[in-house]
Amino acid sequence: MIIKNKKGGDKVLSLYWIIILILIAGGVFGMVYTFYKHPYDVREIENGILINKFSDCISYGGKINQNLLSGDNFNQTFEDFVSEECNLDFGSGEEYYVEANFYSENNLNLEVYSLSYGNSGLVASCNIQEDKEYGLESKCSDGEFFSLSESGNLYLVKVNSIIKKTEQNSK
Amino acid sequence: MIPKIKNSKKRGTILMENVVFIILNLLFIMILVIFISKQGQGAILLEESYAKQIALLIDSAKPEMTIILNMENAKELSGKNEVSFSEVVRVDKENNLVIVKLSSDGGYSYGFFNDVDVSVYPDTKGLQNSGDADSYVIKINSYNDN
Repeated sequence: MIIKNKKGGDKVLSLYWIIILILIAGGVFGMVYTFYKHPYDVREIENGILINKFSDCISYGGKINQNLLSGDNFNQTFEDFVSEECNLDFGSGEEYYVEANFYSENNLNLEVYSLSYGNSGLVASCNIQEDKEYGLESKCSDGEFFSLSESGNLYLVKVNSIIKKTEQNSK
Repeated sequence: MIPKIKNSKKRGTILMENVVFIILNLLFIMILVIFISKQGQGAILLEESYAKQIALLIDSAKPEMTIILNMENAKELSGKNEVSFSEVVRVDKENNLVIVKLSSDGGYSYGFFNDVDVSVYPDTKGLQNSGDADSYVIKINSYNDN
């Protein structure tokens, strides 16, 4: 014969309550651990700063840098001294990549000049950025603006920036 | 006629049990809140967050800019870990790295790409020369000559 009394009911209730508390504590611990185990990913902000800095270097006040474009001729050697001209120091050069592509207003699909600096091997990682497995590999951003040459011709400039720094920004 | 009071002792016991139950629950919630708030104030997290903040500030700065960064939390933590506040932030000019150290055996570094000559030091003048600074001055002197 099963004897039921109030004391037994209380004990079952406390055990039930302890299990609930353990579950809540476990859940909170799990959430906190998951939240803090990932580093802060600042590459998007960094990309924005890099794009602004590079854009200011190749075009300022709406006019393309005269060291890059004199008349309507692009200076092919500008790429060799981008770091000095734009005050960029990519260190070992493996973590960053930035490029600017110029299009004439007459044909916005035809690239008339391209300028790049950094590790061009990172370009491929942008194509797989959407893939969840490789999405954290590197961050890619882009921007575009119009700028005038000295002779008054209008150019569309598309700037792309890629930052790797995977270890420090994603795990 | 005086009414009989039954089980007065038992009622007291039930109330006591409830009070203990509520206190234990409150204690549990308090422990959880303390645990969560402590997690966000660890040396590793603060080192990372300050190093990245300072690196981004340097990246977006131009010569002759002076930035004053409030580092109250870092000062508190470095004091607890017996690290002098003047040694908390360092810039490795050779490798363009910002290094933040809040514990004696730790340290976090983050790179910046702006090719500038930068100085970082505690803001001792900020508090009427009291010498008790809780901010850091980040001074961009000039672009580096290549």
